[in-house]
Amino acid sequence: MSCNLKAKDRVGVINPIFTCQPAGAQYVSIGVKDCIGLVHGGQGCVMFVRLTMSQHFKESFELASSSLHEDAAVFGALHRVEQGVDVLLMRYPELKIIPIITTCSTEVIGDDIDGVVIKLQEGLLKTKYPDREIHLIPIHTPSFVGSQISGYDVAVKAFVEHFAKKEAESNGKINLITGWVNPADVTELKALIAEMNVDATVLFEIETFDAPIMPAGNHVGHGETTIADLQGTANAVGTIALNKYEGGKAAKYLQDEFDVPAIIGPTPIGIRNTDTFLANVKKMTGKAIPESLVRKRGIALDAIADVSHMFLTGKKVAIYGNPDLVIGLAEYCIDLEMEPVLLLLGDDNVGYKNDPRIKAMTENVKFDMEVVTNADFWELEDRIKNKGLKLDLILGHSKGRYVAIDNNIPMVRVGYPVYDRAGGFRHPVVGYDGAIWLAEEMANHIFTDMEYKHNKEWVLNVW
Amino acid sequence: MPYHQFKVSECIPERLHHAVDKGADEDLTDALPLGYLNTIPGTISERGCAYCGAKHVIGTPMKDVIHLSHGPVGCTYDTWQTKRYISDDGNFQLKYTFASDVKESNVVFGAEKMLKKNIIEAFKAFPQIHNMNVYSTCATALIGDDINAVAEDVMAEMPDKKIFVCNSPGFAGPSQSGGHHKINLQFLDQWVGTGEPEIYSKHVINYIGEYNIQGDQEIMRDYFLRMGIQILATFTGNGRFDDLRCIHKAQLNVLECARSAEYICDELRVRYGIPRMDIDGFGFEATADSLRKIGYFFGIEDKAEQIIAEEYARWKPELDWYAARLQGVKMCLWPGGSKLWHWSHMLKTEMGINVVSVYTKFGHQGDMEKGVSRCEPGTLAIDDPNELESVEAMYELKPDLIMTGKRPGEVAKKIRIPYLNVHGYHNGPYKGFEGWVRLARDIYNCVYSPAHSLVHLDISKDEIPTDKGFATRESLSDVNLSDEIKNSTELREYTGDYDPIPRLRKKLEENQYTFPDPVTGEWRQVPLETIKRGKIVDVE
Repeated sequence: MSCNLKAKDRVGVINPIFTCQPAGAQYVSIGVKDCIGLVHGGQGCVMFVRLTMSQHFKESFELASSSLHEDAAVFGALHRVEQGVDVLLMRYPELKIIPIITTCSTEVIGDDIDGVVIKLQEGLLKTKYPDREIHLIPIHTPSFVGSQISGYDVAVKAFVEHFAKKEAESNGKINLITGWVNPADVTELKALIAEMNVDATVLFEIETFDAPIMPAGNHVGHGETTIADLQGTANAVGTIALNKYEGGKAAKYLQDEFDVPAIIGPTPIGIRNTDTFLANVKKMTGKAIPESLVRKRGIALDAIADVSHMFLTGKKVAIYGNPDLVIGLAEYCIDLEMEPVLLLLGDDNVGYKNDPRIKAMTENVKFDMEVVTNADFWELEDRIKNKGLKLDLILGHSKGRYVAIDNNIPMVRVGYPVYDRAGGFRHPVVGYDGAIWLAEEMANHIFTDMEYKHNKEWVLNVW
Repeated sequence: MPYHQFKVSECIPERLHHAVDKGADEDLTDALPLGYLNTIPGTISERGCAYCGAKHVIGTPMKDVIHLSHGPVGCTYDTWQTKRYISDDGNFQLKYTFASDVKESNVVFGAEKMLKKNIIEAFKAFPQIHNMNVYSTCATALIGDDINAVAEDVMAEMPDKKIFVCNSPGFAGPSQSGGHHKINLQFLDQWVGTGEPEIYSKHVINYIGEYNIQGDQEIMRDYFLRMGIQILATFTGNGRFDDLRCIHKAQLNVLECARSAEYICDELRVRYGIPRMDIDGFGFEATADSLRKIGYFFGIEDKAEQIIAEEYARWKPELDWYAARLQGVKMCLWPGGSKLWHWSHMLKTEMGINVVSVYTKFGHQGDMEKGVSRCEPGTLAIDDPNELESVEAMYELKPDLIMTGKRPGEVAKKIRIPYLNVHGYHNGPYKGFEGWVRLARDIYNCVYSPAHSLVHLDISKDEIPTDKGFATRESLSDVNLSDEIKNSTELREYTGDYDPIPRLRKKLEENQYTFPDPVTGEWRQVPLETIKRGKIVDVE
C-alpha cells in the first residue's frame, strides 16, 4: 500500500486535461464589471475560450482580440493593441477596465505591452478620453508557461495589484478569493458567511453568470466585482484565498504589500474543509459560528450518513481537473470511506509535490494511490485499458467523457468545463450544500450504474 | 445608398462597407460588402484563426489519422470536442487529440527534438493507426521549427507510417479561411498522387468539401452509391488518409463547400485535368439538381431520376407539412461561410421562410456575391459581423429565429430569439432529402416551442393568462392554417429515426449496392471490403 506523486513520463499530451494560461486570465476578466479583456494574439485564442465558456454556462461572454495577422507576426503588433483599446472604448461607453492579455505568439515576438500601456495612458487616454476613468492592465500569460491555472492566478494578482489602494481605515470586510468556481459555489460561500454576519469582498462576483431570459432588455451574463471592490482589498481585515493555486498569489501580495493577513486554503470541499473555512472566518473576524450553520451542517451529515458506509464505502475513484478542486474532492472522498486511487493534475507545477495536503494523503492512506502531474487523459485511459486499473467512479469535467463512456464507468461531472450535462454550474461543490450535492450525486450515479449493469440493483428495492 | 450604417459602428468608418441592405432594383455592383479583409482589433469579431481553419475544420474529419498539433496545449484543447464530424468506424477523430505540449524551454531551444519524440510516442500509443497530420501553431511557426524535416526523419525510421505536415499557424490570414486554403494545397502537394486506387466502377468521383457533420456525408454517399458511382475519397468528412492519396484518379470532383475546398478542386483540374462540378446537398431542388448534373455527366440520368422520384415520394409530404406551417417566418441566416448562399434561396422556395439577414464570418466576396444575389430585396448582408452589430441587427429585424453558431446563439437567446446551430446542427444531418426535412422539423420545433412562447410575458406588469396548463406546438403554428392543410391526409410530420445514419450504415454492411463494371459496364455487386477499403498500391 503506497501513495506516490510523479510526473507523466511521456513528453506529449494525448487528450489534454487543461488548456493554456490565457484562458485562465480570460475567465478572471469576465468576472469584473465594466471590463472587457483584450487578448493579444491570434483570434482563435479568444474565439475558442469564449466557445468553451458558452458551452459550460450556456451564456455568451464578451472578450476581444487584437486579431494578429501575418504582418503583425513579422513587424510586431502593438499598433493593433492601440487600435483595439480605442475601438473598445469608443463602442462600449460603460467600459472602464481593459486587461491586455498576452499569448504565446505575442510573447515570442516580444511585443512590449507594458510599454504600450504607458504610451496609451500618456497619449490616447489623455487626448481622446480625458474625462473617463480607464484602466489598462497588462497581464503576461504566455501559453507555453504554466497552464490555465497559473493564468488565473497571475490575472487575479494583476487585477488586485492594479487597483488595491490603502486607506486609513479598515473596511471591516474580509477578502474572499474563491478561485475558479461556479456561480452556485459563490452563492453557497456567501450564504455561509452571511450567517456569521461577515461582510466580504468576493473575488469574483460571478453569480450573474447564471443569467435569466428577461421579458425586456438584453441581459448579458457578466461578473459584478467592481473597481471599488478591488480597491478596497487593501483595507480588508484579512484575505481568505480558498484555492492555493487560483488566487493564492493575490492573497500573498496583499499581505506583503498592505499587511492584510492572508489565509490560503483549504478548498472548502466536504464537511471537514468547510469547518476549517468557518474556523478561519471566525479567527479572522471574531464572529461566532451560529446555530443556523450547526443545523445546516447537520443536514449535510445526515445526508452523508444515508449514503456513505452503505454505498460509497470502498469505491475506487479517479479524479482530474483543477488542482485545488481535485485535492479537495480527494480529501472529501476519503472522509466518505471511498478510495481516490488516481489523481490527475494537468500541468507541471513543481509546487504540487510540496503541497501539504498531498503530502498528508501520501503519508496516511492505506490503499494504493497515485498522483500524476503534467497529466493528460491517456494517463487515465491507459491505466484502465492496458494496466488493470479498476474504477467505480470518475470525477471530472466533460473533456474526459469518453474515458467514462467507452469503459462503462459512471462519471460525476465536476469542474470546468461541463457541457455534456445540463446545469452543472447551478450546483455547488463547496460548503455544506456542496457536500450534500456531491455525496448524493456520486451515490445516484452509482445507483444508475448498478441498475444498468444489474449489479445488486435489488438492494435499492427497500432502501 | 446600399451600405448599412450600424449605429454601434459609426465610430469605425471602415466597417461601413462591410454591410449592405439589398435594394429592390440593385445589382451586385451596387450592393456587395467587402470581404475577407483583416479584422479590426477590438471589435469582438466572431472569427477564428487559420490554425483552426486548417486543423479543426478540414484536417480532423479524416478518420484514421492521429491529429497532432505542434505547440502549447491550448490550441489542441480548443479544437477538441467542439465539432460534430462523425465517422463510420468508431469516431477516433472525435475522441483523441494530440499536442506536442511546447513549453518555455522548447521556445528557447527549439522544439524539433521533442516533436520527434512526440510523434513516436503517439504512434506507439495507437499502433493500429498509421497516419498522422501534424499542424503547426503560432508559437512553433514563430520559433521556426522545421516540422517537415522532423516528419521525414520519423518516416525514414518508421516506414509503415505516413505523416502530413500542415503549416498553417493561427495568424496566417484574416480568419479560418486562410487555413482552409493552406491545408487544401499542402495536402495535395505532399500526398495526392502517391497511391494507385482499385477502380471498381465505371463512374468515379471525389466528394470534396464535405465534413460529415452529424452524418451529412453518409446521406449523400447513399445517393452516389445507388447511382453506381465509386467515391474514391471524401475530402475530408469520414475520409481515409490512404483514399485521399488517390484522388488524382477520379473522373470528376464533386464539390460541396466551395468556400473551404475549391482550392484543391481547382488544382486537381490544373494538374490532372479533373473537372470540377459544384453541387449542393441542402434542399430538395438543390439535391435533385445536383444528382441530375452528376447523372448527365456520366450518362446515368435514369439512375438519378429514380433516386429523386423515390426520395420525393418518401420525404416531400413531410417537408410540405412543415413548409405549410413555416410560411412567412423571419430568419437571420448567420452561418460561417458558404451556407449563406447554399441555404437562403432554398429556405424561401421550399419552406416559405423569409431570410431577412445573412452574414458570414470567414466568407470571401464571392460568397457574398452568391448570397446576396439569392436573397430577397431588403435583406441585410454583413461581412465579419461583431457582437454589437449582431445585437443591433436582431433588435432591428426582430427575426423569429436565428441560425448561427453555439455562442452567438446564446446572445440571441437573451434577446428572446430562439436559435438553431448551423455549424454542428441541432438534430442533423441536414443534407439530402431526409436531412432537409430534419432541418424543417428543427426550425418548426424552434419557432413554435411552447416554452419559448412565454418569454415575452412580464408577470410583474402584464395580464397573466390563467386558462391554460399547457400549449401545444400546433396551437401556435396552425392558427392561420386552412382546414384543408390541417386535415390533409397527404402531409405528415417527420417519421424518420432519431438517428438516420445507422440505417444507412446497415445498408452498406449488407452490400445492397451495385456498380457498372469499369470495362464491360455490366452492373454487378462488388465485395464489401473493396467498397470500404479498396486496395491501394504505393507509387513513388
